[in-house]
Amino acid sequence: MTASTERIRLTGTPIGHNVHLAELGEEIDPLQREQLHAYGLSAQQTITVLQQRPMTVVMCDHMELALEHAVAQHIWVEGK
Amino acid sequence: MHHHNQATPSPSGSTGTLALVGHPNVGKSVLFHRLTGAYVNVSNYPGTTVEVARAGARFDRSSSLLDTPGVLALPARSDDERATIRALLNENLKLIIQVGDAKNLRRTLNLTALLAELGVPLVMALNMADEAKARGVTVDTDALSKALGMPVVATVATGGEGISALSANLGHTCPPAPMLRYDTESEEAIASIAAMLTEHAPHPRLSARGLAILLLGRDGEVENWLTAQPHGNEILAHVAKLAPIGARDSLPARLARERGRAAEALAHTVTKQAATGGQSLSLRIGQIAVHPIWGWPLLLLVLLGVYFFVGDFGAGTLVGLLEEDFFGEILNPAVTDFVRAYVGPEWLADMLVGDYGLWTMGMTYALALILPIVTTFFLVFGVLEDSGYFTRLSVVSNRAFAAIGLNGRAVLPMVLGLGCVTMATLTTRILHTPRERLIAIFLLALAIPCSAQLGVVFGMLSGFSFQAAAIWSVCIVLILLVTGWIAGRLVKGQRVPLVTELPPMRLPILSNVLKKTSGRLKWYLLEVIPLFLLGTFIMFVLDRMGALPWIIEAGKPLVTGWLGLPPEASAAFVMGFLRRDFGATGLFAIGSQLDMIQTVVGMVTITLFVPCIASVMIIVKERGMRTATLMLAIIMPTAFFVGGLLNHFLRLFPHIFS
Repeated sequence: MTASTERIRLTGTPIGHNVHLAELGEEIDPLQREQLHAYGLSAQQTITVLQQRPMTVVMCDHMELALEHAVAQHIWVEGK
Repeated sequence: MHHHNQATPSPSGSTGTLALVGHPNVGKSVLFHRLTGAYVNVSNYPGTTVEVARAGARFDRSSSLLDTPGVLALPARSDDERATIRALLNENLKLIIQVGDAKNLRRTLNLTALLAELGVPLVMALNMADEAKARGVTVDTDALSKALGMPVVATVATGGEGISALSANLGHTCPPAPMLRYDTESEEAIASIAAMLTEHAPHPRLSARGLAILLLGRDGEVENWLTAQPHGNEILAHVAKLAPIGARDSLPARLARERGRAAEALAHTVTKQAATGGQSLSLRIGQIAVHPIWGWPLLLLVLLGVYFFVGDFGAGTLVGLLEEDFFGEILNPAVTDFVRAYVGPEWLADMLVGDYGLWTMGMTYALALILPIVTTFFLVFGVLEDSGYFTRLSVVSNRAFAAIGLNGRAVLPMVLGLGCVTMATLTTRILHTPRERLIAIFLLALAIPCSAQLGVVFGMLSGFSFQAAAIWSVCIVLILLVTGWIAGRLVKGQRVPLVTELPPMRLPILSNVLKKTSGRLKWYLLEVIPLFLLGTFIMFVLDRMGALPWIIEAGKPLVTGWLGLPPEASAAFVMGFLRRDFGATGLFAIGSQLDMIQTVVGMVTITLFVPCIASVMIIVKERGMRTATLMLAIIMPTAFFVGGLLNHFLRLFPHIFS
């Protein structure tokens, strides 16, 4: 993987890539945003994309997290 | 199941309460079992402790131990989190035992950062140390303990490791120091609210600073508590001014972010991550289970396994052995002979062993027909639940549930409903919004047949052909989708997209599965036997009074005219008021008089017909009398409408279905 600081949507991140979480978009419901923070999805956190269909599945601190595309598409990440 | 989960009064003489608090699926309930010997419904699915469970502590009989529902984060947002905060506010707490996940210390410490502010002694059980080790994670518990100023014990609750060390630390009496200092502006806000609380509404146990942080995080339960305190509304108005809800960089969001940073920094200093040899088998199986292609064959394999174990072995072999061979050939003739010989008045003998006899009908249905089916169902359900498969299933099925206004999380109550709708109705509490709960409860009440009923339905339909069973299945799935689709549009509120943790796939521990199955069976039998006996007795009385012929006559236009069933089927619908499976069994009794269309129509109608009395009572408890009445007012006409429609439709093709 090439180093990059471009922001892309989590849904557009290829499977197997490690990325830094850049931002949780405003489109995500505030309560769900809190929920994501509680799961550990906060800025600069490294996550690994495991799967994109039927839902986006990421690994974050040894925890697998499944996110519906309606949420994952508003999560912005940067190449590591 | 859930009688274990009900909040029970504190044991008399209890000098204080120890509360287990932690994230979902970190092993609180297993630890609760280890520390008390009491059994709580334990499973590898987030959110199984729906209410607070309590038992006397093994190590200190004068104290009681509380098992609280898993919290994703505090301040409380979900029902589970609110229940936990209620327990913290109302219990005579002498210690909080935070159960943490050793492989995810950052997340664990995020919660510690808040619990440490409450002014209550805190001990950490860093659980699942085995899973952390398998992933190359090592936590320096001594360093962590020093940094936090509280005992930290590594445990493996499922294997009993670290339990005695944990027990030895449960006499700890010193509250920890706060884990972080917030930024100046936040600290000022906390201090001002804390000062108001100290002056006007001091809590007997929890610190004013901890409560102020929860209030500034807009915790609904602490706000409720405060409303009942003198000057509470004044303080709340001040909180609302300082911490508006929802704004992106508002105080609640900043407080949460700062706790997150502090947790990350501390976790980083005490955790070591060694390189591991690739993906573990558990991770690989977990990924196959949610794979867009391989997930489906695996699901098919699981369904086939369930069908062979429950449908074939339970409803076929075991029911055959029990109902036909043992009850039919040996036990019932012997009981009947005995009663006829020794029980005096004939009506009494009839009441016990007649056509509507308490033994020959009520107990035989409950023990010979229903028990083998629900036993096998609960066994297989327990295995799937403990394996971690259900959360994966929620991912695979999410799209289908989206069509009916729900998300994949609803898969657990829906599948559990195939075992017992009443139990499943209670489990809808794991759904996050009242809207989702309402839709799920409605669909459970309308179109999810319980295992007892499924057994009877398939027993009858398989007597005809695969075609009959297929028509029934298609009808029920269609009704589920159509009514779900309509409900999803009619019930106010937004659908919540699914975000869920996928707990590791684990090999179920047989003793846990057996304990859970026996707990559920006990609950089920305590519910089902009295209702079956009551139902049988009502049928007996109606029969003796000559009311059954009257009911049969009164029901004729609907039952015979619209549904095309023989008049005697009215009796089955009367029985169906008590339990749907009881009603289905009533149709089973007149099965020889029914042709294929009548059987399919009868089974579809009785499947959609009113849920059992126990379910209705639970719906009233969960949603109130008004909603329960409204649901019944929709469900009953729908059942007869669909049944009649199906009857008239199928009769258009007499050559196919005769």
